[in-house]
Amino acid sequence: MSEQQITPQEVIIGILRNYIGEDIDAEKVTLEANLEDLGIDSMDVVEIIFDLEETFDIDVPNPGDVEGGNIKFNTAQDVINIVKTLIDQK
Amino acid sequence: MRIVITGMGAVSSLGYDVDSFIEGIYAGKSGFRAIQQIPEVEQLRVQIAAEVPDYDETEHFNKKQLALYDRFTQFQLLSAREAVADAKLEFTGLLAERTSVVMGSGIGGQTTQEQNYKRIYHDKAKRLPPLTVPKLIPNAAASHVTMEFGIKGPSFTIASACASSAHSMAQACMMLRTGLVDVALTGGSEACITYGTVKGWEALRVVSNSTCRPFSKDRSGMILGEGSGTIILETLEHARSRGAKIYAEVLGFGMSADAGNIVQPSSDGAVRAMQAALKDAQLNPEDIHYINAHGTGTPQNDPSETAAIRAVFASHADKLAVSSTKSMHGHALGAAAALETIAVVSALERQVAPPTMNFTEADPKCDLDYVPNKARPMEIEVALNNSFAFGGLNAVLAFKRFRD
Repeated sequence: MSEQQITPQEVIIGILRNYIGEDIDAEKVTLEANLEDLGIDSMDVVEIIFDLEETFDIDVPNPGDVEGGNIKFNTAQDVINIVKTLIDQK
Repeated sequence: MRIVITGMGAVSSLGYDVDSFIEGIYAGKSGFRAIQQIPEVEQLRVQIAAEVPDYDETEHFNKKQLALYDRFTQFQLLSAREAVADAKLEFTGLLAERTSVVMGSGIGGQTTQEQNYKRIYHDKAKRLPPLTVPKLIPNAAASHVTMEFGIKGPSFTIASACASSAHSMAQACMMLRTGLVDVALTGGSEACITYGTVKGWEALRVVSNSTCRPFSKDRSGMILGEGSGTIILETLEHARSRGAKIYAEVLGFGMSADAGNIVQPSSDGAVRAMQAALKDAQLNPEDIHYINAHGTGTPQNDPSETAAIRAVFASHADKLAVSSTKSMHGHALGAAAALETIAVVSALERQVAPPTMNFTEADPKCDLDYVPNKARPMEIEVALNNSFAFGGLNAVLAFKRFRD
C-alpha cells in the first residue's frame, strides 16, 4: 500500500502506538481507548504532539491559548478530531 | 573518617569496561583513531580523536530511553552500571537516601545541543523535539543515574572543564566525611566529539592531529577523548559492615584556582592544589611514589606541571614516577579524572606504574621520570591524580594502597 492510501486516522493510530506502555497490546489502541489507560503519560503526549506537527505540518496550540475551548487529548478520537480541525484550518 | 573505593566502571576509547581500560593502559594501547561520529569530518583540520570504539547505542538502551539520553548520559549510565554491579550494592531502604550521585561533565549534552541548533538554524526546522532540553542539561547524566538505581540522596553535577570529575570526587568525599551520606557514586562523563566542538578546539590550537606525546619534546597537543568513569566511594565503616571488596583508600584532596588566565596554566595554582592534597591527606612529599599527571601533551601544560611538581617535591621529584595515561585514552575532559583514578587504583593494586606512551625525546623543560613507553613494576603505596582545568581550576586527589 502506498503512503497516499493511508488515512490520517491510521497515521495517528500508528503514532499513538509508538508511545503505549511496553505491556500494552497494540490492538488496544482503538478510537475510544483512554490514552492514560494505554500507558501514555503527559510527557508522551508532548512527544505525540511534536510527531503530529511534523507529520501533518500543523501547529497544535497550547490548551491555555485556545479561547473558550479546551483541547483534550483523552482518547485517540480526541487527537484525530484536533488534527482534522487543524488540517482544515490550514 | 576513612573513605575507600569499592566499585569502578569505565567506558573509554580503550573499551567498554574497567578491564579493557586497565589492560589497555598497561599494554600501551592507543585509543586514537579516525573520527567516526562526525559526518563532516573531511571539513576538519583535526580528524583524529579518542572515540569510544564502534559504539552502537541500540545495544544498550531501548527506543524510549534513547529519546531521553544524550551520548554523555548513555556513557555515564554504562559506567555506573558496571560500578554498581562491581560494588554489589542495592539502594534499598535507608541506603537509598544515604547515597549521593555527584558527577562531572565539562559540557553536558553537546550532541543534542548541536543536532538541534543545526535543525533550527541550518535546516530551518519550525520546531524541536520536546525532549531537547531535558536531554542536553549537564545534570541529565547524574539524574538518570539516580533514576536507574533509585538513589535518593543529595545529587548534582559539577562542571570545571577538565577537572570536573576530580572536583566531583572531592565533593563526594566531603559529603562522606561530614556524615551526610555513606556511599557516593561519583566520576563523570563527556561526549563532545562533535563538529562544532572540534572546530572550537581546532581554533584554540591545542589539539594534535597526529598523536599525543605528553612531556616529549616533539609533543603537538592533546587528543580529544570521550567516555565516562564511575567511582564508588564509601566510608570504610560502611564498606566493612557489608563485607565489600575494597580497591584503595582516598586519603585526601586539594583544590585551588589559578586566578590567572582562562587557558594558560599557572604552576602556582598547581603547586597549591598538590600541597593542599598532601596536607589534607596528612602526607609528606616523600610519601608519594607515583603521580598520574594531568599531562595533556600541550606545549603549555607539560612544562608548567613539571615545574609545579618540582616546586612541591624538591629533591624527591627525581624519585617520583610521573606518567600521563592521556597518551593512550586521550583527554576525556569531564571524565578524565575518573578514568585516571581507575588507572591510579590499578597502579596501587598491581604495583606497576602505567607508561607515558609516544614519548620520543626529552625536553629540557620536562625533566622528570615520565615512565616512557613501558609500564614499570615498582613499589607504589601512595599516588596522586592531578587535574588542572581550563579556567585555572585545579583538583588533586591522593590515594593509598588499601591495607586493613
